[in-house]
Amino acid sequence: MSDTTLPSLKPSPRRATSPLRSRALRARVSHALAVLFGVSLLTFLVAHATGDPVTLLLPANAPEATRIALAHHLGLDQPLPVQYGLFLLHALQGDFGRSFLYGQPVAPLVLQTLPATLELAAAAFCIALLVGLPLGVLSASRGGVASAALQLLSMLGLAMPAFWLGLMLVLVFAVQLHLLPVDSSGGVSHLVLPALTLSLLSLARISRLVRSGMQEILDRDFIRTARARGLPEWRVVWVHGLRNVLVPVVTMAGMELGDLLSSAVVVEVVFAWPGIGRLSVEALGARDFPLLQGTVFIAGLGFVLINLLADILCARIDPRIASGATSSGSIAP
Amino acid sequence: MSRLSSSPRISSGLGVAGAALLAVAVLVALAAPLIAPWPPMQIDLRARFTPPAWEAHGVLRHLLGTDNLGRDIASRIVWGARISLGVGVAASLLGAAIGGTLGLCAGYFGRGVDAAISWLIDVQLAFPFTLFALFLLAVFGGGPGPVVVVLALATWVNYARVVRAQVMALRGQDFILAARAVGVPSGRILLRYLLPAVAPAMVVVGSFSAAQAILTQAALSFLGVGVDPSSPSWGAMLDLGRSYILSAWWMATFPGVTIALVVLGANLLGDWLREWLDPLAVSRR
Amino acid sequence: MPPALPVRSGPITRRSFNATLAAAALLPRPTAAASIAPVVITSDEDVTTLDPHLIRNNHPIGSLIWSLFDSLVRRRPDGTHEPRLATGWSQVSPTVWHFTLRPGVTFHDGERLDAAGVVFNFNRMNQAPWNGECQLWQQSGLVACAALDPLTVALTTAAPSSTLLYWLEEAFIGPTAYLRDTAPELVGSHPIGSGPYLFVSWQRGSQVTLRANPAYWGGAPPIRDVVFRAVPELSARLDELKGGSIDLLTGLDPDSAALAVSPVSGVRQVRGLRKMHVGIAQHGIAPLRDRLVRQALNHAVDVQLMVDTLQRGTTTRLLSVINPPNNDPALQPFAYDPQQARALLHQSGHAGFAVELAFDGRYADAQETCEAVGSFLEAVGLHPVLKAYESGHFAETLRARGFPGLYFYGFAAQIEPLVELVVFTGSAIDNASGYDNPAVDAVMRQAADVTDADARAALVRQAEGMIWNDAPWIYLWYLPALYGSSHRLEYTPRPDDYVEIYRARLAA
Repeated sequence: MSDTTLPSLKPSPRRATSPLRSRALRARVSHALAVLFGVSLLTFLVAHATGDPVTLLLPANAPEATRIALAHHLGLDQPLPVQYGLFLLHALQGDFGRSFLYGQPVAPLVLQTLPATLELAAAAFCIALLVGLPLGVLSASRGGVASAALQLLSMLGLAMPAFWLGLMLVLVFAVQLHLLPVDSSGGVSHLVLPALTLSLLSLARISRLVRSGMQEILDRDFIRTARARGLPEWRVVWVHGLRNVLVPVVTMAGMELGDLLSSAVVVEVVFAWPGIGRLSVEALGARDFPLLQGTVFIAGLGFVLINLLADILCARIDPRIASGATSSGSIAP
Repeated sequence: MSRLSSSPRISSGLGVAGAALLAVAVLVALAAPLIAPWPPMQIDLRARFTPPAWEAHGVLRHLLGTDNLGRDIASRIVWGARISLGVGVAASLLGAAIGGTLGLCAGYFGRGVDAAISWLIDVQLAFPFTLFALFLLAVFGGGPGPVVVVLALATWVNYARVVRAQVMALRGQDFILAARAVGVPSGRILLRYLLPAVAPAMVVVGSFSAAQAILTQAALSFLGVGVDPSSPSWGAMLDLGRSYILSAWWMATFPGVTIALVVLGANLLGDWLREWLDPLAVSRR
Repeated sequence: MPPALPVRSGPITRRSFNATLAAAALLPRPTAAASIAPVVITSDEDVTTLDPHLIRNNHPIGSLIWSLFDSLVRRRPDGTHEPRLATGWSQVSPTVWHFTLRPGVTFHDGERLDAAGVVFNFNRMNQAPWNGECQLWQQSGLVACAALDPLTVALTTAAPSSTLLYWLEEAFIGPTAYLRDTAPELVGSHPIGSGPYLFVSWQRGSQVTLRANPAYWGGAPPIRDVVFRAVPELSARLDELKGGSIDLLTGLDPDSAALAVSPVSGVRQVRGLRKMHVGIAQHGIAPLRDRLVRQALNHAVDVQLMVDTLQRGTTTRLLSVINPPNNDPALQPFAYDPQQARALLHQSGHAGFAVELAFDGRYADAQETCEAVGSFLEAVGLHPVLKAYESGHFAETLRARGFPGLYFYGFAAQIEPLVELVVFTGSAIDNASGYDNPAVDAVMRQAADVTDADARAALVRQAEGMIWNDAPWIYLWYLPALYGSSHRLEYTPRPDDYVEIYRARLAA
């Protein structure tokens, strides 16, 4: 184990695989693009199936001529494929059109609210990793009742509806104890409850993954050897054991971060967090297609990018999987 | 079964506990008319916001209190079991049908079919699901049918990924190769050889998916696009309770606890089943 | 005045230290110039645009746009018209009006108000996309406007209009050069008006900040800094109110009113004017076209019980389809009488039918009301089917008259009989129930043409009674106008939901 930055089981034959890896990388990138295409198509189709925005934009008693003029003004009188083609062409230039609701270009609107969502997701992600990882390791290395208790705890985390937990947290901390504020205006303390709520599911999943990975690793020969060499137990577990479960954790962490972005919708609604989740629910209510497409597309873009990044990171940690299958067959929830 | 070695008794104990939780929930759902003290829709405006029996002003005939229209919370939870469990199971089964089929095809045929299906899987995974569900329900309108369809769209990916991976592993095995060599048609191989082989894994995924479906259903109700706002589904009760969280905590608390217990049961059962039914996944790890 | 922290002479105990910390946390960040914290007004949603001719949701109604902009006239709480940018007006012929502008008014950017600018604004309101939002031309029948001299504007309507002033209340005037030469999104995000407040900033989705206009023609408003903040959850708004970080909370419902009471806050209440009702669609299922059935529905529902319980007695039953004080005091509410309801249904030959009861799923109280109404209808043998519409879909269906049965809705809090009754005429575009009684239409046409005020009032009263007895709605109650308010804010709420923060002041 001379390589300190790449915690792999064996020294990696990096030079030999490098052309393969660049080809694999190209394949991954084009795959990511294909997925993005699918996301945009789906967004576009579903958004258009939901109804007529002109009706919502105009008051109930607007005359027909006004309605037709507005439909034309918004480009809604063109055939669907043309509308989609235009959407895609403009999207490639970072132009997602103009929000009906706000009368402003979509991209800046979304980018304005994006930091709030990223802040929330990042905070939740940190909580999930910082708590979930040690919890998983602990529960794997301490057998018996402690392990079962931790396992049960993580199961509870998986079982509670996130928004319900959010409500309960508000009820206990903000209303009963007056410890934390519920609103979303400024300050770190405002971040605590929503981030905690959002992190719970990921936390539970990460700790379970680490636990099952560790349980298996700790039975391996090289761990026994390490123990036989008289290394202290904490070192065996936290260094030799942990670095070997990192690959699935990184892959999953990528998925989790993407998941956090999308499940932030509910949490943002509960906590009045002014992020893209709330923006998109608002856009949905008003049938604001461009805004809806913009938010969903940007969320999808984020998800795909994060997973691409996780893939590349994994390939660096463990080159053996660089050329492997993309979709995992794990049946863990 | 190396990972069980640490605590097999506790693990199976938890599994049994999970099964018991689910069994109770199912029994309650089936026996709802016998158990529930009140009709779930019976409104009594003069008894609005009665707190649970043990609180001040609580009354024994409304054990868990009443809601904003004076309806009995306990009775609504009991009746709600029918809706929430029914929708969860139906969605999970429909998801299994879709995901199983696609997973089998992707794993067995490989190449273009696999690429297309994997693309679908990844697109589905990249889409912020909650939003996707909101769109679809905005189009279809509410109601149990559309909700089941939407939830199935949430769960099919789980099945498809597992089945695909397993079929890929099985495809090269002797009994499949032999069957192909003697000219058994593809459809028959898929149905008679591969499906039974992946069925245990699908049962495991099914129990997790039902749990996921129940949770997602609650989230959708919470965002206002649930089964039917006035029917006593647990999610709708939660959503309603949110508006009164400061004045009537019991309205949101008890349905939430119920959901958590049932989902916990399904997850515990799933964990246990996985260890018993799916040695392949366990040994592969 | 909360900002000054108590000066403690004794030792700082841990407890008092914590209390000081808590107090400090609740205080707004101190501003450099003044020690008075801004007055914060919250509602459930932010504005979407600040373009004076596009504004569609504006926090508490009127609060923002009335603070930033002026119109020629403004409605008073009693429905009469207050001179604002116009100091006077006269109807020089049945279809021509002359408005005299207030001299010496300047916009926030220094531009002077003149007749040409008003004409420019009115013309902008008649172009897409602004004409979709501003209903001035369509609704008042305006066909021409012209500047006669720098301080006189002439407006010409196609036919004699009795509602021109009403529509002018919502026709806001901005500076010509800015509106003409600026990109629309800048106009929508950086408003310049002539109102009592200047625009400072807008954090989209979160809050709009205003500052008193020292050069306002009516004098600078008493409160210097005002913040309109969007806080979607009522529970969060209540928490902030009790924590002292907001001053006026809108969207308070009767069930939550008690929660607004704290050492620093209380409830302000007036009887509202929005007419809550269950509309009875005339274009859906056949039984509802029968007047006996509609009257039966009104007898079937115990509205008073709902007012006493659901509304906690904070409002009263609807007295008429015309808001007080213009309503006919002789009209009687339909008595709660299930026997009578059953008898009427039987008499009409339409007993026991199924009927959809639709509501906007966004509002919890809408569902509550519909569930209660549904249970009363069930009790007289009908089969109501509740249906929550997604908010956008509800608006669409309402517009398209697409509801097959009953729908829960609130009709605007106006105080202008002719405007209020126009939705009950057969051809009105926003006649959501589709109620169509040719006799009523004829009386209404007569009323619009009559110039004598007394004769018109008599005709209006006649139409009012005909509509009331025809029962196009299940009459419910006036939406209670409830506000949570900090004790430091001195303000009298209006019954029509409009919030005029420039009339508020801080307690000494």
